[in-house]
Amino acid sequence: MNNITQRDSFWNKVYDLAKNNKDIIIVSADMGAPSLDKFRTDLPAQFINVGIAEQNGILVASGMATEGKRVFVYAIAPFITFRCLEQIRVNNSMMKIPITIVGVGAGFGYEDSGPTHHMIEDITLVRSMPNLIINSISDSVMSAAVAERSCQMKEANYVRLDRLTLPTLYKEDEDFSKGVATLRKGDYYIAATGSMVHVALEAAEKLNQKGLNIGVIDVYTIPIHEENFIAALGGTNKLIALEEHFLTGGFTSAVCETLQDNGVMIPVKRIGLSLEQGYCYEYGGRNVIREHYGIDTDSVVEKVSAFLK
Amino acid sequence: MKKSLKKKAWDIRKHILNMCIKAETGHVTSSMSCVDILVALYQGEMMRHDPKNPGWAERDRFILSKGQASPALYTVLADCGYFPMKDLDKFAQKGGQFGVHLQNSVPGVEITCGSLGQGFGFAAGVALAARMNRELFLTFTLLGDGECYEGSIWETAMFASHNRLNNLVAIVDRNYLCVTDFTENIVSLEPMEDRWNSFGWDVERIDGHSMEILLDVLGQVRSRKSTRPLVIIADTIKGEGVESFCYQPVCHGIAPKGDDAKKALAELERRCSYE
Repeated sequence: MNNITQRDSFWNKVYDLAKNNKDIIIVSADMGAPSLDKFRTDLPAQFINVGIAEQNGILVASGMATEGKRVFVYAIAPFITFRCLEQIRVNNSMMKIPITIVGVGAGFGYEDSGPTHHMIEDITLVRSMPNLIINSISDSVMSAAVAERSCQMKEANYVRLDRLTLPTLYKEDEDFSKGVATLRKGDYYIAATGSMVHVALEAAEKLNQKGLNIGVIDVYTIPIHEENFIAALGGTNKLIALEEHFLTGGFTSAVCETLQDNGVMIPVKRIGLSLEQGYCYEYGGRNVIREHYGIDTDSVVEKVSAFLK
Repeated sequence: MKKSLKKKAWDIRKHILNMCIKAETGHVTSSMSCVDILVALYQGEMMRHDPKNPGWAERDRFILSKGQASPALYTVLADCGYFPMKDLDKFAQKGGQFGVHLQNSVPGVEITCGSLGQGFGFAAGVALAARMNRELFLTFTLLGDGECYEGSIWETAMFASHNRLNNLVAIVDRNYLCVTDFTENIVSLEPMEDRWNSFGWDVERIDGHSMEILLDVLGQVRSRKSTRPLVIIADTIKGEGVESFCYQPVCHGIAPKGDDAKKALAELERRCSYE
């Protein structure tokens, strides 16, 4: 599954499933994808375009779900989370209506679109509500697997897709029910999520050249599967947590909570965006933005080296 | 039948008022304005439903979008036999299963509601799924007029007419009052018929306290020859039956206490006696 976006991989899988299951419905807030053109052409009765009306999208999807439909609601990530948060809170968190909210553009995926399109607070918000699962996708194999799992889930889930094409990390037979995966073993670990798993792997490689044996754990399900996460740490006595997201309440906060709640009292270096740095009006590509915030590979290498000194 | 339904509506109002006085909470006035509508739907057999089988697949769906009218819906449901009326003694009390806003754990209640502008879109989703599933039930939803300030209402209004959801019936409880003032003083909602019509809806405007008219209009919804969804704008009085509450802003979401409670009960009793 090389050279395919998480989004196309996700919708290709949904298409395959929907061909044989008329109850699978896509509700799009005027959002397309090359992979969705096929769906719209072949399965028009299962594709509902609500227009740029995300609040109505969540409501319609939730109403349909109570009548037996398996609904995927799709838009750019900030608009299908923040714009309709109250609808998600009442219908999917409070009433526990299972729909799948698909947001594309995690982190700085919409690199040149400015801060309205960056998605750097969603983990904080969505994980603060009960009965919602976040699937923070790191490669296109995972996104296809999550598409399939979404059709069986009893609770609502939010699928956080990266916009850009990223290298493949997983084999087709990977078991994604565990919530975490150790992609590289080490004396110390970087826990990361989404596209930052790739930065963590690059940083680990560079750190290895400096004589530091750093492992990488991909945490792709939030709430974190605590037992599996603690087991993945393998008794390490220092941890780095990395996110392309504000540090306040986000992924790295979830990591620290997990450690604390399980009595794992080890130092943690959190690397992410501070609120003081604010929103981003830098242009020139994702790496320029990451450099601005100090979360690019070289900055991570530097921060990890200093932390482990 | 119409006479007995009218009497039932007044009995339900008395129950609502007593229940809210006892609980010292609840949206009395928002409930009073929509009692006749609910009685027509549930007890007037304008909706297909089965109190012994709340999850009956072929039931008409009723989505209360103005969730603050829960005392009215709970009382009507209890009167139909969905649960014992005495359960309502614990309305908003410790150990009770009922709160000030609507919750879907109560038999016969489809959604949890209290955040406005939501039940309507949910109802549109139900109606669309019903058509996809070739189900013949209708979906009714009751909106507050103040709720129509929510932008999401108009997102749904556009969506429903575009998708020709003629199995969707919205009723607007047009009681003219929000929390702090009359709607036309806040941001005007009129001309309501024109607005809904321009969004692609069939519109009926009626007296929401006339049982005859309610039964007449609702009795025709199942055989409508239109591809458009239907909105019934029901002109009502917020607090109907309790004179001192009517036409009074800032009576929203409160239950009368002490002498006010006695006065309210006496007013309602007097009104019932000559109706």
